[in-house]
Amino acid sequence: MRIIVFSCAATITTLSAAAAGDDGSPPGASSSHDDRPPPIVSAPAGPSEGHFEFGSYGRVRVGSDLRGHTGSDANIVAHGDRIDEDSYAELELRREDTFTPHVASKVVATLALFPPFFHFSGDPTQAIAVRNLYAQGTLDDLTLWVGSRMYRGDDIYLLDWWPLDNQNTLGGGAGYRLRWAPGAETVVAAHAGLQRLSSTYQYEQIPAPLPAALTPQQGPTSTNITSLDRPRTIETLKVTHLATRPGHGPDGLKLVLYAETQELAAGVYTDTTVAPPGQTALPTDWGWLAGGEVAYFTGRRNTFVQVFVRHAEGIAAYDPLSVPLTFASDRTTRGSSETLAALGANYEQGPFGLLVGAYFRSFRDGSPSPTTSQKYDEGVLAFRPQVYLGDRWGIAFEGAFEARRYALLDPQTDQPLTAVEWRAGVIPYFSPSGRGSYARPQVRLIYALTARNPAARELYPTEDAINQRGIVQFLALGAEWWFNSSSYP
Amino acid sequence: MIEQLPRRWSPWVLAVGCAGMPGGGCLSVPADATEPSLATHVDDWRNEIIYQVIVDRFADGDLNNDFRVHPGDLALYQGGDWRGIEDHLGYLQALGISTMWISPIVQNVETDADIDSYHGYWQQDLTKLNAHFGDLASLRSLVSHAHRIGMKVVLDIVCNHMGQVFFYDINRNNRPDDYVNGSGNTMDPVVQISEYDPPWSPGGVQAYTQLGPSGRAPILFFDDPSIERIRPQPGILATAGAYHGFGHIENFDDVAQRTLGDFTGGLKDLATELPEVRATLVDAFATWVEKVDFDGYRIDTVKHIENDFWPVFAGATRARLANRGKSRFFMFGEALDGNDQLLGSYTGPGALDSVFYFSQHYAVFRDVFEDAHDRARARGTDAIAALWQQKTTHYGTQAQPGGIGVAPYKALVNFIDNHDVERFLFGSEGDVGALRNALTLLFTEEGIPCLYYGTEQDFAGGNDPANREPLWPTGFATDGATFQHIAALSHIRHAYPALRLGDTSVVWSTPHVAQEEDAGIFAFERAAGDAGSGAYALIVMNTNDFKTSETRGDGGVMRVQASPGTLLVDVLDPGHTPYRVSADGTLELSVPPQSALILVPANQVVGGL
Repeated sequence: MRIIVFSCAATITTLSAAAAGDDGSPPGASSSHDDRPPPIVSAPAGPSEGHFEFGSYGRVRVGSDLRGHTGSDANIVAHGDRIDEDSYAELELRREDTFTPHVASKVVATLALFPPFFHFSGDPTQAIAVRNLYAQGTLDDLTLWVGSRMYRGDDIYLLDWWPLDNQNTLGGGAGYRLRWAPGAETVVAAHAGLQRLSSTYQYEQIPAPLPAALTPQQGPTSTNITSLDRPRTIETLKVTHLATRPGHGPDGLKLVLYAETQELAAGVYTDTTVAPPGQTALPTDWGWLAGGEVAYFTGRRNTFVQVFVRHAEGIAAYDPLSVPLTFASDRTTRGSSETLAALGANYEQGPFGLLVGAYFRSFRDGSPSPTTSQKYDEGVLAFRPQVYLGDRWGIAFEGAFEARRYALLDPQTDQPLTAVEWRAGVIPYFSPSGRGSYARPQVRLIYALTARNPAARELYPTEDAINQRGIVQFLALGAEWWFNSSSYP
Repeated sequence: MIEQLPRRWSPWVLAVGCAGMPGGGCLSVPADATEPSLATHVDDWRNEIIYQVIVDRFADGDLNNDFRVHPGDLALYQGGDWRGIEDHLGYLQALGISTMWISPIVQNVETDADIDSYHGYWQQDLTKLNAHFGDLASLRSLVSHAHRIGMKVVLDIVCNHMGQVFFYDINRNNRPDDYVNGSGNTMDPVVQISEYDPPWSPGGVQAYTQLGPSGRAPILFFDDPSIERIRPQPGILATAGAYHGFGHIENFDDVAQRTLGDFTGGLKDLATELPEVRATLVDAFATWVEKVDFDGYRIDTVKHIENDFWPVFAGATRARLANRGKSRFFMFGEALDGNDQLLGSYTGPGALDSVFYFSQHYAVFRDVFEDAHDRARARGTDAIAALWQQKTTHYGTQAQPGGIGVAPYKALVNFIDNHDVERFLFGSEGDVGALRNALTLLFTEEGIPCLYYGTEQDFAGGNDPANREPLWPTGFATDGATFQHIAALSHIRHAYPALRLGDTSVVWSTPHVAQEEDAGIFAFERAAGDAGSGAYALIVMNTNDFKTSETRGDGGVMRVQASPGTLLVDVLDPGHTPYRVSADGTLELSVPPQSALILVPANQVVGGL
C-alpha cells in the first residue's frame, strides 16, 4: 500500500478535506470571504451538503500447487511475503456530510468477505466481518469518532502488515491538527477501545439455576450467566509530524511516535466439563508498547522509504486479535516481549520499479521454560522489482527470504530449530489504471516457487504430505484493487 | 537439491537482525538443553538413597503444559512436570536424597476409560516425550542440574507392554465394540467381551461368526490423534506381529498367562521373545539415556516377561552404554509379588542388577510394622530374619558382568511402599511411630533405600489412585517430624560406611508380639564387608506398638560382635546416649515402643552426628 502521508489515515484524510473545504478554499477559510453578496434573507437551515461514497479493497486469486491441489500460503513467519496470500475483500459504504465550512461528519460501514466464496465451495454461507462501523465528526482541526474501527498507520505492502500501529477495537478517539507553517504540521491522536474476544481467556458463559422466583412459571431449569467478562482495554497515543522541504517540491519527512497501554481485569475461568466444575483464577494483566517511524517521501510516483521500530511488554506483546498461548508462573504475560524493526520502500524511475519489505522481530513469551515455540526470532526480506511495459502492462519479479528460529531443539542438530525458506516468483500483469507499483486494479498471473529447509518442514505433521515438500509451487490467477476506501486511501 | 537446504546456512541472516535489537542478542537454547556427554556418576549404588517421583504429582513448574489437567481428580493429570522437580531439587537435598527415580517419560495414550496416563505406563511412542511433563530441553536441564549437585536420575521404563493401542476385532466389523455377545450360537450362553480388553484365550483371542470361532481376531490399531491413541512406535511395534494377542491375564499364577497375556487395563503385551522387538526396546530406551544421561533403569512389570529376555536386554544395554562412556548403569526390576524366589530369578547371571524387594514389603514392612497397631495381625521380627536369610539363596551372588559391580543380593532396592500399594499410614491407620521406625530399618538395612514421595509429609493415601497425591499442597515444608527424621537417617547413612556397605548379621529377632520381654525386638549389625574391617554399627529396634521391650528373653541377653567394653553411642538420639558392651559381650537395652537405636563405636562418631 502507499505510504499514508498523515497518520490515522481515515481521520486525517477527513480532517484535510474538511479543513480545505469542498470549494477548494484554503484551510480555515470562511465562505464569507468570497466575492458574492450576502443573501438578503438568511437561508433556512436545511439539509447538509452530503453524499454517499462506495469504496473497496479486494484481492481474489485462484491457484494450484501444480500437483492437483489448490495453492496455499507457504509462509513460515508471522508476516510473510504476500505473493501467495488468500483472497479477501472489503466493501465500504460511507456517508459524508459537510454542515458548515468548519463542521463535517462521516459515517463508515465496511464489510469484509473471507474465502471460500460460493462459486468455489458451493456453500452459500459466507464469512463476513464488520471491519468498520463508526461515525466521525470534525470541528475545524478537531476530530472525534466513536465506533468499531480499523485504526492504523502505515503498512508494508509486500508483507501486508502494519508494523507500528494496527488497532481493531470498539471505542473512540480524538485527533487534533497543529499547523506550524506551510507544509509542516503535527497531528496528535488518541484512542481508547475494548476487545473481548470469543475465547475463554476473556469471556465465558456457564449454566446456573433459574432464580427461585421464576421456577414456578418455567419449572426447574437453567439459564446461562456470564461468568467471565474481561475485555482488553487499549489506549493509544500517536504524534505525527509531517514536513516538506520549503521551496524544494513535494518531498519531505514524516516522523511518528506511538505508544499504547493495555489492561485486562481479573476473572475466573470455569471448566464445566468436569464435575464439580473446576475454576482457574485469571489475574489482572497489563502491557505497554512504544515505537516510532521515520519516512522520507519524494512526493513523486509513490517513491518513499520508511523505517519502523517497536517494543512491547506484557499483554501488549500479543496481537489484540489473539490471546496468549503461554504464561508466566502467575498466569500473567509478565516477561513477554516483542521487539521489531521493519523497513518498507518503493522506488519508481522510468520503466522500472522496486518494492521492498523487510523486518526482524524478536518475540519472547513469559513462560518459565527456556525452550518453547513461543520464544523465537524471525525475519523477512522481500523485494519485487518490476518493469512497466508501456502504461498498462508490466512484469514483476519476486524474491523473498524468510526465517524463524525457535527456542526449540532441532532434533537433528541439537541447536535452535531454524526454519528457512527462499522464494522466487514472477507476476506478469495488466494495470488498466496506468503504470506504477501501486496502480490498481491489477489483473495478474502469479507463479512462485518456495524452497523450505528440513526444519521448516518439521513445523508440519509428518502426515501432511503437502507441507512436507521441500519445494512448493504456486500458480495462480489473481486480481487486486482498491479505490475510495477509508482504510486504503 | 534445494530440498536439502542445509540447516546451518541461515542463522547468520537472523544474527544480523538480532545484533541490532536493544538488549536482545540472538535466541539460543541453554547449554543444559543440548546433548550431554555421557558419564558414570556413581561409584557404588549402595551409597545412594533413591526417591521415587511420580512426575505428574511432585511439582508444577510450568503451567503452560497443564493441558487436560483436572485438579483434585487423582485419576487424571494434575500438572506436575520436570521443571517442577528441578525447581525443588533443594527440597530433595534437604531430605538427603541422592538419586531420583522419575516415572516414565515417553508419550502415552492420553486417556482410557476415564483414567489418564499421568503415571506414564501406557506408552504409545517410545521415541517421543510426554508433553505433559515438558520437552527434551527441560528433561535434560533437570538431569544436568541434578548431576551438578551430585544427584543421580533413574528412568522408569516398560518392556512388557504398550498402552491400549489396538482392539481385537472379534466380530470383524472394523470398529471397536465395548461388548460383543458370545459366540453367535444361540445355544451358547451369552458372554460379554470387550474388544478393547478381552480375557485370556489360550489359542489367542478368537474372532467369531455365527458358526463359532473363526481364527485369530484381527488386531486393529486405533487412530485417534486427539488422545495419542494411534499406531505405536517405533519400528516393529507398529505392527500386529509385535504383540502376543492372547487377551488379558486372568490368572497371575499361570506362567503362560503371566508372560503372554495383556496386562491389567488392556495394556497390550509385547512379543518380547522376538529378536526384533528386543532390539527395538534396547535401542529406544538406550537412546533416551544417550540423549539425557540417565543413570539407571527402573523396569516395570518384569515378571510378565520371559526370563531369558533379561540377559539379552541388560547385556545389550550395558554394552551399548559402555561404548559411550557410561558404566555402572543400574538396572532394577519391579515384580509386584511376594514370592522371594521369583523376585530373585530376575537377578540370574547376566540379567538385572537388582529388583525391588517386594517380598520384604509384604513380610516385613506390612506384616511387622504396618500391622503393629493390630494385636491380632502383628507379627514377630523373626519374619525379618527369616526373609533376609534367603537372600543368598534366591538372589544373584555375583555382580553382573558389566553391571554395577555389586552382587544383586547386596543391592536389593528396599522400600516401604510405592505407587502400586496403599501408603504405610493408610494400612497402619495413621501409626506415625511405626512409620518412622520402619524408616529407620529402611535406612540402615543392607541394600539401597527407596523412599516414595510424600512419605516425608505423612501422606496416607489408600490404593491407586489415592496413594498418588499431589505434593505441592504441602508447600514443600521441611520442618515436619517425619521429614526431619528421614533427613537425620539420610545423614547418618551417608556418614557411616557400615550402614551402606557393611555385611549384615542379625543378633536378635523374636516371634514374640505380646507381653514377652523381647516382644518386637529386632537387632542387627552392619559391619566390615565392603565398608572395611573396622566399620561397625548396631541397630536395635522395637516394632511393638504397645510396650517397651528388652534385648533379652528366654534366659538370654543379646550378644553382639563388638568387643567387650566397647562404648557405643546412639547417633539417632540427639543426646548421643552412650551404651557399653558388657564384659561378656552382651548388651542389654530397653527400647520404647516403635523406636530404635543406631549404635556406633564412640571413637567412630562423626562430628555433628
